Amino acid sequence: MNSRLLPLLATLVIFLAAYAVCYAQYPAMLSTRVIGNLLTDNAFLGIVAVGMTFVIISGGIDLSVGSVIAFSGVFIAVMLRDTGLHPLAVFAALLVLTTLFGAAMGGVIHYLEMPPFIVTLAGMFLARGMAYVLSIDSVPITHEFYEVLQRSYWLMPGKGRLTLIGGMMLVVFLAGIMLAHRTRFGTNVYAVGGGVQTARLMGVPVGRTTVGIYALSGFLAGLAGIVFSIYTSAGYSLATVGVELDAIAAVVIGGTLLTGGSGFVAGTLIGVLIMGLIQTYIIFDGTLSSWWTKILIGMLLFAFIVLQKGLVWTSGKRRAAGG
Amino acid sequence: MISKKALVGAGVLASMLMMSSSVMAQTVGFSQIGSESGWRAAETTLTLQQAKERGIDLKFADAQQKQENQIKALRSFIAQGVDAILIAPVVATGWDSVLEEAKEAEIPVILLDRMVDSSKDLYLTAVGSDLVHEGSVAGQWLVDTLAGKDCNVVELQGTTGSSPAIDRKNGFEQAIKGHDNIKLIRSQTGDFTRTKGKEVMESFLKAEGGGKNICALYAHNDDMAVGAIQAIKEAGLKPGSDILVVSIDAVPDIFQAMAAGEANATVELTPNMAGPAFDALAAYMKDGTMPPKFIQTESKLYTQADDPQAVYEQKKDLGY
Amino acid sequence: MTGFKLLLRRILPQLITLALVVGLISIMFPGFFEISLANGRLYGSPVDIFNRGAPVALLAIGMTLVIATGGIDLSVGAVMAICGAVAAWGITEGYGLLPTLLMALAAGLACGLWNGLLVAFLGIQPIVATLILMVAGRGIAQLITEGAILTFNHEGMIFFGSGSLLTVPTPIIIAILTGALVTLIVRRSALGMLIEAIGINFRASTLAGVNTRVLLVAVYMTSGLCAALAGIIAAADIRGADANNAGLWLELDAILAVVIGGTSLLGGRFSLIASLIGALIIQAVNTGILLSGFPPEFNLIIKAVIILIILVLQSPRVRTVLAFLSTARADAAGQEKKVVEP
Repeated sequence: MNSRLLPLLATLVIFLAAYAVCYAQYPAMLSTRVIGNLLTDNAFLGIVAVGMTFVIISGGIDLSVGSVIAFSGVFIAVMLRDTGLHPLAVFAALLVLTTLFGAAMGGVIHYLEMPPFIVTLAGMFLARGMAYVLSIDSVPITHEFYEVLQRSYWLMPGKGRLTLIGGMMLVVFLAGIMLAHRTRFGTNVYAVGGGVQTARLMGVPVGRTTVGIYALSGFLAGLAGIVFSIYTSAGYSLATVGVELDAIAAVVIGGTLLTGGSGFVAGTLIGVLIMGLIQTYIIFDGTLSSWWTKILIGMLLFAFIVLQKGLVWTSGKRRAAGG
Repeated sequence: MISKKALVGAGVLASMLMMSSSVMAQTVGFSQIGSESGWRAAETTLTLQQAKERGIDLKFADAQQKQENQIKALRSFIAQGVDAILIAPVVATGWDSVLEEAKEAEIPVILLDRMVDSSKDLYLTAVGSDLVHEGSVAGQWLVDTLAGKDCNVVELQGTTGSSPAIDRKNGFEQAIKGHDNIKLIRSQTGDFTRTKGKEVMESFLKAEGGGKNICALYAHNDDMAVGAIQAIKEAGLKPGSDILVVSIDAVPDIFQAMAAGEANATVELTPNMAGPAFDALAAYMKDGTMPPKFIQTESKLYTQADDPQAVYEQKKDLGY
Repeated sequence: MTGFKLLLRRILPQLITLALVVGLISIMFPGFFEISLANGRLYGSPVDIFNRGAPVALLAIGMTLVIATGGIDLSVGAVMAICGAVAAWGITEGYGLLPTLLMALAAGLACGLWNGLLVAFLGIQPIVATLILMVAGRGIAQLITEGAILTFNHEGMIFFGSGSLLTVPTPIIIAILTGALVTLIVRRSALGMLIEAIGINFRASTLAGVNTRVLLVAVYMTSGLCAALAGIIAAADIRGADANNAGLWLELDAILAVVIGGTSLLGGRFSLIASLIGALIIQAVNTGILLSGFPPEFNLIIKAVIILIILVLQSPRVRTVLAFLSTARADAAGQEKKVVEP
């Protein structure tokens, strides 16, 4: 068995085990309603986490995604309110904007040789500031097309709903997996993450790849913003604060190394589902005060990371002993 | 893959659990915004208290001040099959689809202390204060106290973009409109916190001739006022006399300040929203009485003349 | 070149930036440099920059050491909240000033120990390891204060926020003393060099015989201690522990201060003085935006633009271009070619 798959399998095992524990305590958690909810509620996080996976595999980081989601929501809401454009046209304009924004950050990172942490931090401030400038108040979206989007779902047995945005998240993950493992761009991303100097010597177009990675992250952040606006049918400039940290946590739980060069997009999906599972469990329990909720989320995050490291370490040892 | 039998079995078990729970105590889901201020913590404490007194099984979900977490909580409550839902919505927009899901599942929803802009048939009732009215009560107090005297007012706003900040600002401006003796010279956000209130007030004082130019301070909440009072004292001025201080919320610490003569007036925002909410819910569940769409709580004005020390003693153990 | 001249050269970009920012503010706001005495304490906008910037400066001291080892500490804001809560709790429970201070500092050290163990012994990435405490820590702080603002009136405690020694406000003195102490310890001993070695190459340092793991834990504990001091100052300032808001997002400001100070996020050589100047620059920007009365919507955009400008000026590419231009001029003048540090 490929040893690179170890972190991914470890995460999968932990997820299934955790779900089993939750099911034992709250049988209702295995209903299709809850499963459908898991996909819908975390759709925007999942989409943005795919972009974050690519960025982290390349050895970088993107702190701007939460603010770009908020900006996207406000942009869509304000455009729909003030112009007569159809939502699809607004979506297209938005995606072009966020992709260019990401590409600009990637350009600054590569051509000016500045650390991604700081460049994307400045990007985060810029995007959030632009969202404030567009609209301080929360702006509702009332276009009929949105109602069509919100009412599209597939009714699963057991009254659960696989909504459009939940399905979109799954599609984005599939596309991400294809992109990472079946295209040259994906290979270049892994190469850059493994070592920039080595990649350059091998002939990988580092500059183009870097710009492409952050452009992809910007594109997916815009897409996540569209999904979030469908989820909340509003644009709010104070929304999604700190989502970038949730995305990073999901990517790390999914087995991707922050140093870059290794990781799987599929692992991120499981990471997102694990975080959704933690929240669902806490709500089902219903007795945790605000502060105990924070402490428990922190502790569970810790437990998952340690478990995953432990599983990888012990199977590594067993392999070394057996080989 | 999970077999069909297991799924059906799980579904039967779940529905049995749900049915049994509705025969016993009522289960109500409560989605709270978070714990960003002492007032919010008091609201949570009182809601838990009220539920306990009435024998209601309250499922508490803290949203860490994020709307997506509140939507998640509501959908989870619906999946669990609770009997009713209480929610203090963090923002006014974006609740249509989740409220419609609740309506389809025939679960009544009651709003606490903040409004939503969805259509009124999507929730049972809303218990809250009129935020604009709070602002105008504060503004009216200032108008009455000044009685025509000239006054430069500085304003400490709440978190940019939040509905309390927007509404309390509007209400105040409505009350002082037409009174040319009152001028709003500076207005900045203090983020509803003590630290920021103190920091912003410090810069106001420096920008306005060491504070000699300022006659009154209007803070959107008491916490910012308490911080600002310290800034005024550190600048060598007397809060309450050199600079009038009026704010909103009526938390215990502002009454201490009033007793010491350092604050002048506060408008009460009662944290006990759950009491009227549970009453309305009980009546609805018993015989289907539809409560009024908006149960307005009183916005009482407290000044130094209302024995602040006694009020402080009364309020200090409420969990603020 | 003497040591002082070398130091001056190192911090010159930061000093110029600070001068530019302060200059810009004083142009927009003529009365900026007025300093007077109020209640026996220095009073004025420049004093505010130092006073309000003291917590960030303290955080930046610890953060510099952590970043020098190639790590990062996202939990300092939450640790501030925890230590402020412990200090307020101790003083209101009647424990007396010294025991309370010791408890609060011990809480900071314990948080740093937790972070250090996770990073050094469990091998968890610093950004994730400290993220755990960032999330759970605020919960712990709220647990101590039960969600409310725990206020106190103890004169000794309040002194740390609102008091002054020889008219200089106490927070400034604490920040300067801590900075001086830490600088002395890392520069007068081999510790500073060892920290830089860990940041440049962890494996090589271990193989060379450096006790890397213990040193890493010590660095995170220092960061925790600095956060504890900042938390005590913050709580003393408003005479209460606001567990919900104390130090919220302050870790970002601390990281920015270190980066503006020129320390690389990849680890290696660091300069504490440059980070402190960086903290002053950030506070000056904050104060400037407050004084100018700009609508809060523009705050973030202005901050982002200033950060980008400062960083572009520090970026290696731009430095290379500038160096090329300056050597071209020097060649033309017939002087010896200068070697510029990357």
